[in-house]
Amino acid sequence: MIKKIIQYPRLTQKYPKKPLDLPDFIGKPEIDNSKCTGCNECISACPSGCIVRDEKGVIGINLDECIFCARCEDVCASGAARMTSEFELAQKDRRLLRKTPLVIEERDIPDERYELIQREVKEKIKKIYGRSLQIRVVDAGSCNGCDYEINGLNNPFNDIERFGIRFVPSPRHADMLLVTGTATRNMELALIKTYNATPDPKLVVAVGACACSGGIFRDNYATRNGIDCIVPVDVYVPGCPPRPHAILYGILKALDRVGKK
Amino acid sequence: MKKMEDIIEELRAGFGESCLNYNIVHENEMRIGVNEVDVRRMAELLCRDKGMKLACMFASDETLLPSGEFAIYYVFADAERGAFIIARMAVDSEKMSYPSVSDFIHSASFYEREIHDLFGIKAEGNESLKPMVFHGNWPEGEYPLRKTYDRSRKPAFASRRQEFMKVKGEGVYEIPVGPVHAGIIEPGHFRFSVAGEPIINLEAQLYFVHKGIEKMCEGMDFKKCFYVSERISGDETFSNALAYCQAVEKIAGVQIPRRAQITRVIFAELERLTSHLGDIGGVCLDIGYGFATFQFRMMRGWTYQLVEAVCTSRFLRSVNTPGGVRKDFLEGNEKRIIEMMIKIEKELLETIDIIKAKSLYIDRVENTGTLKKKTAIDLNATGPAGRASGVHYDVRKSFPYEAYGDMEFEVSMHNNGDVNCRLNVKLEECIQSIKLIMQGINMLESGSMCSKIDFLPPYVSALGYTESPRGENIHWIMSGENNDIYRYKVRTPSFCNWPALCEAVRGNIVPDFPIINKSFNLSYAGNDL
Ligand code: SF4
Ligand code: SF4
Repeated sequence: MIKKIIQYPRLTQKYPKKPLDLPDFIGKPEIDNSKCTGCNECISACPSGCIVRDEKGVIGINLDECIFCARCEDVCASGAARMTSEFELAQKDRRLLRKTPLVIEERDIPDERYELIQREVKEKIKKIYGRSLQIRVVDAGSCNGCDYEINGLNNPFNDIERFGIRFVPSPRHADMLLVTGTATRNMELALIKTYNATPDPKLVVAVGACACSGGIFRDNYATRNGIDCIVPVDVYVPGCPPRPHAILYGILKALDRVGKK
Repeated sequence: MKKMEDIIEELRAGFGESCLNYNIVHENEMRIGVNEVDVRRMAELLCRDKGMKLACMFASDETLLPSGEFAIYYVFADAERGAFIIARMAVDSEKMSYPSVSDFIHSASFYEREIHDLFGIKAEGNESLKPMVFHGNWPEGEYPLRKTYDRSRKPAFASRRQEFMKVKGEGVYEIPVGPVHAGIIEPGHFRFSVAGEPIINLEAQLYFVHKGIEKMCEGMDFKKCFYVSERISGDETFSNALAYCQAVEKIAGVQIPRRAQITRVIFAELERLTSHLGDIGGVCLDIGYGFATFQFRMMRGWTYQLVEAVCTSRFLRSVNTPGGVRKDFLEGNEKRIIEMMIKIEKELLETIDIIKAKSLYIDRVENTGTLKKKTAIDLNATGPAGRASGVHYDVRKSFPYEAYGDMEFEVSMHNNGDVNCRLNVKLEECIQSIKLIMQGINMLESGSMCSKIDFLPPYVSALGYTESPRGENIHWIMSGENNDIYRYKVRTPSFCNWPALCEAVRGNIVPDFPIINKSFNLSYAGNDL
């Protein structure tokens, strides 16, 4: 057993200090407007319906709804649409992920007080920056892909504890909620209760297309179009699922540890 | 085909000439019409006398079709002869009910509850039609899977009280757990009735992550719907996508290229390997055996890295496609895969030797969470959970799909039904998966990866079935007009195994629940849909 323990060198990667040395993987899709012939193939093919033309007719992608499926790349005859390997995509403002304006469903938060102290929250966390961060994960209706990737942060390769970040079993101990899933009808109440049980100041990070916008499950009888219909969100991490590093980037972004983009 | 003729003969013998309107499609699917009067007799004949099992049961709203009625479908699986018998029964539109078969097929009870929730069609004689899919917030009388229900309509919240089974007696108390749990897992609510330490009864309230997947797929283009099937359950992406593709390919009457078939086997086994390594690591974590946990996590990390390097998606997303495999992912990667398989196999065997010698490990897993063979059969427990309890059944052997028919592998079997057996089945399956992957690589022949599917004939149905890491996975699709889906029924193994879990924990102490739960490793998303 001892032999086994020392058999392998350190597995943990150095991200984000050093960029990742990885083969190409699927990151965000991009459409090169100069190559686009305007055939609209991708718009009708996109399973999530997130490729759009804005009012000027310029094509673009609403990344918060994108499920990173690469179908646009497959159907594009002119090579305008392609998948890049960019994964540091998290944004604090959902509008920054979008091409077309955002219509958020009406939000019904039982206690608006939390809204008002948003700014203060951020100031505080910044001040206590460097202290350990306790995270509580809430699955509000995911396909469990996102949950597995969050779990992946705990594996020997990513070892998130080296940042002083820990996953805690109770919302009462948490500084941050990582929420996955679209917020299903049956989870709405539990999500609100968990949110209210988390002491202030708190941050909420929406992980994955589902949590950002409802993803592919948008507009269904049992889902909401993203968790920001229910609780305020500080950072949105697009992806389906976002890879562990993308989630890590989102967490660090929420803490302002990573530079503003 | 011979085997199909045999089955027809048997049906005639037991049933008279009345069941003559049958037809055989897609080689091994026999469709028969049955009426309300005969359905119980037929189920009895097939399940009790012929030893077939009820693999799936669902309703379909066909009021928009010429028949203009609701129909209930029963899918019986004849594992020995590799055939499915799909019986269709029309529902009386006045009564909106049909006779229940749950008194002698226990697993039917859950399907009947599901049908009642989603369609409002009642199974007469089933005493426990308690809501399952919907919680107290769902108003009565709303049935989303009827065609008249608009997909995006969200009815106002109701507040009904949720009743749980009460166990009375001196010193009996209840422990409610969830839906938000301590670990990073999916939501579900567990109600334990406990006396002292042992669990007397466990009732699981699920469907917290019910997203209405079956409804949203109706009317969706079949190529887009594929992406929904990939997102039924994250860690079973490939199996679900594969079952979906199989059904679509049968409807379109398309044979996929040989190279794609073998590629699919390789990816399916990679998914199984990843999933099993994760499960075993999870049980070790809950036992508090840190060394083993990290060993398995490391191996799992390796498989993830391999998968990512080969096909760019850690969850095997966008790998399959209706008609074949999206790209030739294996080309040039053969050596890398073989090397990694050899490395994992060696590490795995060494780790098994170490942990099997530890009393810390053996004490916790042996005789914990026993699922008896009879219960396993009654509830149609499937996959490793069934095989650990002596149910000799594996879809890959009984209904060989893709290239499995030409490959050599063993189905591992244990009889005790405890956590230890489930882990042993999984460990042995890891080794078998590694073998299958290496075999697959050697069998690869050059060729195309995909047969194009441009058109789905309307109103044709087909079954897709796979052995996912968790067990038998059944998808049924009926195509609609304009290449869309009319009805998509998904029955993942978790649906069968949740009730089995609730049985297996009885008599065990509460602190052992996490271990038992992990050893089953059920998907909430795959169950709740
Ligand atoms: S990757 Fe998929 S979901 Fe995203 S824009 Fe392209 S087609 Fe749409
Ligand atoms: S964003 Fe994608 S991976 Fe994450 S829960 Fe939703 S469907 Fe699953």
